[in-house]
Amino acid sequence: MRWIALQALTPTESAPASMSEAAAQHAMACIALGFTPRVALLDEAVLMEVSGSLRLFGGLVRLHQLLAQRLQCFFESNQAMRQVIRAHGATSLIALARLRLLRQHSDAAKTRVAELPMHTLTAVRPHLGVLERTGCRSWGDLLRLPRDGLARRFGAPLLEALDRARGALPDSYVWLTLPEQFDEKQELDALVIQAPALMAGVAPLLVQLQAWLLGRQSGLSAFKLIWHLDKRRDVLPTGELVVRTAQPAQDLRHVARLVAEHLGQVHLPAPVHSITLQSLETEPLVDAAAATGSLLMQAHQQGDSAAQLIERLSARLGQAQVCVWQPQADHRPEQMQRWVPAHGQRQGVVKGRQQVTIKSIAGSPRIPCRSGLNGLQNSANEALYPTWLLPEPLRLAAVAGRPVYQGPLVRLAGPQRLEATGWLMRHDPVSGSHPTAILPAIRDYFIYRSQQAGLLWIYSERLAVTPESAGQRAWYLHGFFA
Amino acid sequence: MPTPQCPAFAMPTLPDHLQVWRAGELGGSSLQTVGTGYAALDHVLPGGGWPQGALTEVLQPQAGLHEWGLVLPALAAALAASPLQMTVLVNTPFLPFGPALGARQFTMQRLLCVTSGQGNAPSLLWATREALQCADVCAVLAWLPDARSAHLRRLQIAAHAHNKLLFVFRPLRAQNESSPAPLRLLLQGALGDAGNLLVDVFKRRGPPLAAPVLLDTCPARLAALLAASRERRRRRDEAEPVSLPISAPTVIDLSDLLRRPLHALDRIASLDPH
Repeated sequence: MRWIALQALTPTESAPASMSEAAAQHAMACIALGFTPRVALLDEAVLMEVSGSLRLFGGLVRLHQLLAQRLQCFFESNQAMRQVIRAHGATSLIALARLRLLRQHSDAAKTRVAELPMHTLTAVRPHLGVLERTGCRSWGDLLRLPRDGLARRFGAPLLEALDRARGALPDSYVWLTLPEQFDEKQELDALVIQAPALMAGVAPLLVQLQAWLLGRQSGLSAFKLIWHLDKRRDVLPTGELVVRTAQPAQDLRHVARLVAEHLGQVHLPAPVHSITLQSLETEPLVDAAAATGSLLMQAHQQGDSAAQLIERLSARLGQAQVCVWQPQADHRPEQMQRWVPAHGQRQGVVKGRQQVTIKSIAGSPRIPCRSGLNGLQNSANEALYPTWLLPEPLRLAAVAGRPVYQGPLVRLAGPQRLEATGWLMRHDPVSGSHPTAILPAIRDYFIYRSQQAGLLWIYSERLAVTPESAGQRAWYLHGFFA
Repeated sequence: MPTPQCPAFAMPTLPDHLQVWRAGELGGSSLQTVGTGYAALDHVLPGGGWPQGALTEVLQPQAGLHEWGLVLPALAAALAASPLQMTVLVNTPFLPFGPALGARQFTMQRLLCVTSGQGNAPSLLWATREALQCADVCAVLAWLPDARSAHLRRLQIAAHAHNKLLFVFRPLRAQNESSPAPLRLLLQGALGDAGNLLVDVFKRRGPPLAAPVLLDTCPARLAALLAASRERRRRRDEAEPVSLPISAPTVIDLSDLLRRPLHALDRIASLDPH
């Protein structure tokens, strides 16, 4: 049996404790659950039985290193100044006794069991004075006393504790288990009126959530934030916010920023006294098996990923403002492409990694232009299109039958005729417009040169020519050759 | 790096170190740069290309005139070199037209377009900085007409910290403002056969530029089309019996006109009422 005892010490000089002792202990226990299922909380320490995990993690020394690294990362990422001390022993009480001794002097980790002082055993503490006076100073002295006399004088619990410390009785605890769903409520220090100020209450919950995720070796993909409003107001008792992430997240700094962006747009109808955080969906992380020695937070790359960027931009600016390109099969230039919201539309930019791996497996080269049956000819024609397209064609004034835009224009090339009529016209699935609303496009495209604005792509409607206005055609500016 | 030839002063010879830049020379031999795709422009830029990890400020009279021609070769090369990264456009003046950009070897699938509905400048600056901090972004193009020097400084710091290509497009009125950008360009359109874009590098690490650089940013096929239609118009003008002033005694050489066959395209073009 191998037991490890853990405790997080608060450095004495640090005035503001961002995390309470109990919270830190619970967080450590959650992280310890990532190494072994046998974790118990005893007094001020976390006890973990690791004999079943030694082989998986490559021995006790390696396990100690991993544990220390992960705990340090956790506390550093949450700006909590904690010093974690560890001790191990053959039974839980020996490990705990060494831990308690370690707080007094640092070279106590190797103390022999018989030399452990009396006060490190919890069950002895009520009788410490009597034992001191009878000359018992260490565990060895206590073990040399007659058992029946010890039981009569100090009671059965002391004898039982001594037997467990020696390993004569099995060490059994109520093992700590994590709930399937994270659901924690946090009372706020003061009533909050502005939604961004809720972050002060969300932050400790996120720390607990992160510990919970680490213990369950899973990543968060959706969660719900509920705030409880002051009941004296005539409003709904709660408000809620559901946040989803594109990739399961274990490092919650990105989630915290995402929540802050969402809360920045929330209006609270009444003061808030407490908030609840619930996990909705989690996914087990494969690489978090940790047996491979991959350090989760160490592997975090410099900067954010594309998915995180898109999520954060969409949260603040609105999903319609962050767009990716989508080609369309159509002859009308304004229908050749669509700009669709990037959020939830993660093909191309975000799933680049997967796409590349598939392509490299297939061994096909990456073709930059869009693939088509006659790709070469397509790209040759497309080189004649302008690089900027106006969202709506701009009606130009005409002077003597010639279009005018920021002064007179000189025609350089054209006409290039475009006819998109009849059954070739497809309904626009996005705007859902009626078939009658789609006008056939019969246009002549020209390239004009302007003194100020460079090369312009201008078309004239041919259908709009009525007998009375035959002399004056309607001219539209549609793009720029930038 | 050659030492300056100056007989009057016995200059203590500085060590020929990469970090030493003499103000009389074009600096930035230690800079990490991306080739612009234009040899004439590479020649006048410090380090021989767009600086990576620095802000490049581009001033032009109107937004949406010459941006793509200037930066597209470098962007396409950068995207091709890093197949996992993307380009972010912030506050584009118009819609980028995918087929045309794709035909110029630009990967449209790896483009993210960020706009701001009500045109608020703080959100645009924030989005630009966020994009610079993203690991999967290789270049950021931002149109920031309202940005001030302090804002640009923050962008420059972000670009430097994360080593990204950053282009900021601003109107001409920003020319006399101070700017933290190590490279500032002024774009002017040009009419002529040799090129269509005049680039004046008015701030760089090095001596002032003597004359603006003339670039031809037209794609080859468009240039060929324009040349062909110019040629056709010239021929038509020659072929048409121009209404000549009566006073000038001219002999019209009909034989030349008859010998040359009229082209079919000429007829179509001349039928079309302008």
